[in-house]
Amino acid sequence: MDSSLLLGITTFAYLLCALLYLLGVLFRQRFLLLSGSVAAVLALVIQTAAILLRWRESYQLGYGHAPLSNLYESLVFAAWAIILIYLLLELRTKQRVLGVFPALFAFLAMAYASFSPQVDSQIQPLIPALKSNWLIAHVVTCFLGYAAFAVSCGISILYLVRRTASDNPHPKGIAIMLPTPRHLDEFNYQMIVFGFLWLSLGIITGSVWANSAWGTYWSWDPKETWSLITWLVYAALLHARSMQGWRGKRVAWLSVAGFGCVLFTYFGVNFLLSGLHSYATK
Amino acid sequence: MQQNKGLLVGLYEKLSSMRLTLFLFFALALASIFGTLLPQGSSVEELQRHYGPTLSWWIETTGVNELYRTTWFRGILLILSLNLIVCTIQRLPKTVKLLRHRDEQISPEKLEKFSCHARITTPHSLKATQAKVQQVLADQFAPLQPLTGSEVFRAVAERGRWSRYMVYGIHVSVLMILAGALLGSLLGFKGFMNLSEGETSNQVILTSGMETVRLPFQIRCDDFSVSFYDTGAPQEYRSDLTIIDNGQEVIKQAIRVNDPLTYRGVTFYQASYGAALKQAEVELQHRDSGITRKLTLPFREIIRLPDSQDDVQIMQYQQNLGNFGQAVAIVLFKEGQEPVGSWILADMPDFHGNRIQDYRIKVLQLEKSQYTGLQVKEDPGIWFVYLGFTLMLIGVGLTFYSSHRKIWVWAAPDPAEKTSTTLLLAGRANKNSLAFEDEFNGLWARLEGQLNATKQ
Repeated sequence: MDSSLLLGITTFAYLLCALLYLLGVLFRQRFLLLSGSVAAVLALVIQTAAILLRWRESYQLGYGHAPLSNLYESLVFAAWAIILIYLLLELRTKQRVLGVFPALFAFLAMAYASFSPQVDSQIQPLIPALKSNWLIAHVVTCFLGYAAFAVSCGISILYLVRRTASDNPHPKGIAIMLPTPRHLDEFNYQMIVFGFLWLSLGIITGSVWANSAWGTYWSWDPKETWSLITWLVYAALLHARSMQGWRGKRVAWLSVAGFGCVLFTYFGVNFLLSGLHSYATK
Repeated sequence: MQQNKGLLVGLYEKLSSMRLTLFLFFALALASIFGTLLPQGSSVEELQRHYGPTLSWWIETTGVNELYRTTWFRGILLILSLNLIVCTIQRLPKTVKLLRHRDEQISPEKLEKFSCHARITTPHSLKATQAKVQQVLADQFAPLQPLTGSEVFRAVAERGRWSRYMVYGIHVSVLMILAGALLGSLLGFKGFMNLSEGETSNQVILTSGMETVRLPFQIRCDDFSVSFYDTGAPQEYRSDLTIIDNGQEVIKQAIRVNDPLTYRGVTFYQASYGAALKQAEVELQHRDSGITRKLTLPFREIIRLPDSQDDVQIMQYQQNLGNFGQAVAIVLFKEGQEPVGSWILADMPDFHGNRIQDYRIKVLQLEKSQYTGLQVKEDPGIWFVYLGFTLMLIGVGLTFYSSHRKIWVWAAPDPAEKTSTTLLLAGRANKNSLAFEDEFNGLWARLEGQLNATKQ
């Protein structure tokens, strides 16, 4: 048994999980939602094993580094982080319907990693620039932030669906399965705060790392700059929410826009712009 | 004068507004997007070639090709700093006042307007009710601070007062990071030096412009090496360096990428490497006399051609000159004439341009050594920046994961039956109101249980 087999199983498990959540919401079946959660937990366990196995395999190849070094490994970690954060949220809120989008995002990340010809799944040796203990700290913190923003984006979409479906307190249709707008808004805020803290940590660890590798803690490299843009969007959201009293739709749209920035920081910068993070394209 | 004052006050008020903050956030984000879309540091010619005259005029005028150095971009950062400072000056006293404020005027009407409130009638006396409330709140929330008054019982309990100050920590941290960056750019320097193996130097070429800085000590590169994985990918770049201070070898240390060397506040980073020319063996053939001379030219040393009045010198070496391979720039000095020079293509010995005046030149052999490219930096502001980073993380964590929660209590004997007491609780949190509601409801359930009361 090797890690790529386990990661293949994970990909399909997330597809199954996304379908279960989606069908559960569409047909209002609590049982399907519960199955979705069970599938998510199982998939997360398998994926955790796969990541640890891949780590061990890299030692067996004589490279010996954490599986966080290229686009493939980061996509796998992103899917893992999204599901982990989502399951923690589900544990706290007991709202299984929130799982639709996180499961979908996790599946898309895994599918892209596995099936795109652009993404190389081979274990490669670390280039000198990445040989640092900061690698783990930087990648883990950034992706926990990204993952929280992904979950927040999913909640925002549900919020917008809920508000469009009906504004009355006794909704019909799909909206009947969803928590109240006030609850969705609050969950969304909690995810944004969580993501903001990790993104700040991610940018700071990256900055300290850059200073110890190249002697500049900030060089306006496109990836750095886009992470700052993302940070500014969420900082604006948090200020608008606490000082200007923004709630609901405006916050939801801003959160979707913020996640757009996250996606551009992650993919857009890699493929459209060049810079210090070019090793993350393969 | 009056108008001036009005203007200043207006400006000050503008600087303290939240709308300005939001505007600055989006302005910074938008400007940065342009900065990432356009390759930074593009020259005027490159711009003209890529974007045509009209667009490149706009780019040059707005400075987007050097965005982060433009006055207007730094201006936004400056206004953001001012906005932060003014906001803090304005709001901090308000926060202090808010926290000092004692709510003497608690009335049932007021408390029932809170979204989080509850009311019961207990079958106990005021004193007994009061004691129970005090006990439960001290146990589960925070001790009650009774307010003045004797007929009725009024009190408040609060937690996390300090939470309201944490946001100022974040604001100060942003200012510290910006101040640290400013300090670094004013008092520090950033540059690079290329050292051939065996070479000693103290000259650093600054990244901005072509100025040089002389370090108060010397640095020598003893060895440079690159190792590769089986796959052909580079595994390690390593330079063995020696620091010489006052003629003494003080430090001998190897540096790698991610593993720099710091001495007297100056840090050396492994940044690049390349091949440097040590000496070249060349053949010069005089066109008229046909005399051929072979000689060895050490890099940048002036050598007299045997049996002549002419001197030659290798001034430059390029690993790949315009895709024609290796080339050396040779200069010929003839007595009483201006020196003349040319690039001689080493890898294309038959190239017709390999000549200077009446000499035909052939490069027979190039002896090279490796050089290491070091990034050199002194940044006295870095500790300020790092302190700012730390403060920011603590600030963000505490601001969002703590809240100022306050519970007001009002209790009075029932005017009709003196044996029972009306108890009213109301609460409010400045953040995370959903979680506070749960906490409040939990507290209330416990109180109800303890007081064994009937609901109203």
